[in-house]
Amino acid sequence: MTDFVKRLLRTPQGAIGVFLVLLVLVVVLLGPMLAPYDPETLSPLARYKGPSPAYWLGTDQYGRDIFSRLLIGARATVVMAVLATIAGTLIGAFIGTTSAFLGGRADELIMRTIDAVMSIPSLLFALLVVNLLGSSTVNALIAVAIAFAPGMARITRSVALSVRKQDYVNAAVARGESSGYIILREMLPNVIAPIIVEMTIRVSFAVMLFATLSFLGLGAQPPAAEWGLMVSEARRYMHLSAGILIWPSVAIAIVAVGFNLLGDGLRDALNPRT
Amino acid sequence: MTTTPETPVLAIDNYSLDYDTASGVFHALRNIDLAVHRGEILGLVGESGSGKTSLAWSIMRYLPKNAREPGGRILLSGENLLEKTDAQIEAFRGRRISMVFQDPSTSLNPTLSLGTQLAEVLVRHRGLTRQQAWKEGEAMLDRVGLKTPAAMMNRMPHEASGGEKQRVVIASAFACNPECIIFDEPTTALDVITSCQILDLFVELQAETGVASLYISHDLALVSRTASRVAVIRRGEIVEQGAVRDIFARPQQDYTRELIAAVPDPAHRLVGDRVFETGKPLVRIENVSVHYGRRPFLAAITGRKAERVAGNNAISLSINPGEVLGVVGESGSGKSTLAKAMTGLNRFEGRIWFDGREIRNVGDMDNAYRKDVQIIFQHPDASLNPRQKISEILSRPLKLFGDASHLDQKVGDMLEQVRLPRTHAQRYPHQLSGGEKQRVAIARAFASKPKLVICDEITSALDVSVQASVVQLLLELQKTSGASYLFITHDLNLIRQIAHRIAVMYRGNLVEIAPAADIDSPDRAEYTRRLIEAVPRPAGQYL
Repeated sequence: MTDFVKRLLRTPQGAIGVFLVLLVLVVVLLGPMLAPYDPETLSPLARYKGPSPAYWLGTDQYGRDIFSRLLIGARATVVMAVLATIAGTLIGAFIGTTSAFLGGRADELIMRTIDAVMSIPSLLFALLVVNLLGSSTVNALIAVAIAFAPGMARITRSVALSVRKQDYVNAAVARGESSGYIILREMLPNVIAPIIVEMTIRVSFAVMLFATLSFLGLGAQPPAAEWGLMVSEARRYMHLSAGILIWPSVAIAIVAVGFNLLGDGLRDALNPRT
Repeated sequence: MTTTPETPVLAIDNYSLDYDTASGVFHALRNIDLAVHRGEILGLVGESGSGKTSLAWSIMRYLPKNAREPGGRILLSGENLLEKTDAQIEAFRGRRISMVFQDPSTSLNPTLSLGTQLAEVLVRHRGLTRQQAWKEGEAMLDRVGLKTPAAMMNRMPHEASGGEKQRVVIASAFACNPECIIFDEPTTALDVITSCQILDLFVELQAETGVASLYISHDLALVSRTASRVAVIRRGEIVEQGAVRDIFARPQQDYTRELIAAVPDPAHRLVGDRVFETGKPLVRIENVSVHYGRRPFLAAITGRKAERVAGNNAISLSINPGEVLGVVGESGSGKSTLAKAMTGLNRFEGRIWFDGREIRNVGDMDNAYRKDVQIIFQHPDASLNPRQKISEILSRPLKLFGDASHLDQKVGDMLEQVRLPRTHAQRYPHQLSGGEKQRVAIARAFASKPKLVICDEITSALDVSVQASVVQLLLELQKTSGASYLFITHDLNLIRQIAHRIAVMYRGNLVEIAPAADIDSPDRAEYTRRLIEAVPRPAGQYL
């Protein structure tokens, strides 16, 4: 394990990725405690302020402290993105492994269905799901999870196909094990490494997708401190103070870049041969 | 040949090689001293992990980044290769020293025609033009005994057989008349008959060109057939070297003696020749055929006949209780296909009678059948799930077929049965050696107290000495359990030691079944006779 961490930190992308993700984690865990102001306190006298010792990142159109809102909003944004990715990954990994295990016509049927679903852009698909279910945070999570599942299924299947040919799977089949046991206990643990890599990269997509949904008014609702929503609301006041728009965007970018780099680093660390 | 006054073509002088690994320095080679003279074949014999291939790569000067060379010299005609720059080494490779690899299917580029790859060597090292090189290449292919050299030049690697590909690789190694050629197990990936032909070719070319050859192999019998001198390497150190006769007749070291003793010798039978009552066989296979490939969807709806690849053609055989039935044949002869059909991994046509019950298809193989018929696979690395502990691997058959009480106790007993310490239950497969892993796989197969155990090439991935102990374990287990074995292998010497009857397969057909004692009699089928002839004689018979 320590060997693995060493390998991860040796590459620049791994080291920067770990640093950024740890930073985000600290904000997620301790954000509300660190926030200097209540994120929803309006102060009409201090609107559109630039960065100052009192308000580190300035204030927004209602005089709310942007820094505090970012710290508090991290939970809504990042936790939701991670949860949605995990849900989507689990669904996708299971479908992909099952498809590879079954093989033949069943595999064909599942994968062509997946292809059909994948032909719809994920944002459009998420919009569709949210529209059908109604706009709320939980529904946005479901939408993103469903939108991610087909891609994960396809990646998992390609890895699972090579695992399917291994003799330990043959041995399990010859032993008369149930399909469920073979998929969950014999195959899934052996396809997990590439899935983890793909998952970390996808967290950054999820953050952006959530931000986009909120921006379009289909995710979190005001006055929540969700980052995408903050960008959306700031749009109208951009010409009065650019900071309202820039800081939440920077926060989204940091999370996206961090998870992306971590994914790259993990890929190298999990495949020491390449 | 031992007292040649001239300088040797290849001399390795007190050479050591270390690898830096995450867990410290690994000594791959220690104080190696070897010399190969002009026209000589030096056999280098060792088990896997002994450093044979590391030595080959250090001679070729192609080492991984974590390699360190604490000392020694490698001299090619008196020039120290360790002091050469990369550019100089590049000029050496191919022209003055070349190498033939184990697996011809991976050492050739699958996207270039054979001619292009051969001509490339000639253009690069002998400065010929493309046309000249192509002509020369055809001549080379003719020299290595390929029947239609001109057509072969235009073929892609996948259009040639394994033996043909290895001939092309050998042709390109000899292309620039190098001083020294390294052969790294050149026949391991080939069939018995093909490898016999390749060896003959090698000896012929060697005599013709007088090149100094370093022949690396794990197979003592094979080396004794080609080489004039042999060096035995173990854990990076040369244990013993000398003329072939001396090594085999008077081995000085215990390790060499063990190695020679471990080579299977058909004259030394390990099972009794007791005759089996054929009244009620345990398994009877009637006209079992296996076809690969799926009927295309369009063909299915239009009713068009689709060509399918046959893995087995109407095989019929029977296995008696307590019998060891050997199945031999080249790769692709359908041995494993039959094993897979019998364990429900392949769909089959025909009938299998097991213990009086009729099995018509995979659906008829219920829990009771699967309990009685167990299979052990070739590669223990692949047949044990790397993410499961040994205890979980061994407890699965107990949960499926027996009662699942006192699992820890039973898993421990199973490990002891195959001579492994009980504490291995807490380990993962990658923490065990190859032989230990195969023992775990054997323990798993015997967990359900089966009546028939199918052994699919289970010793071919193991070293000779490990193979001997695994075979011994299997025979002991058979004595205590009374199970029958279907023992699939390509090693004729081994199967003649342990089988009661031998079935010979060729291209999906069963050629014949003969008692093991009569397999070398002259009235066997023609293919069987050719197979027996091609097998390298056991080491002891070269004296």
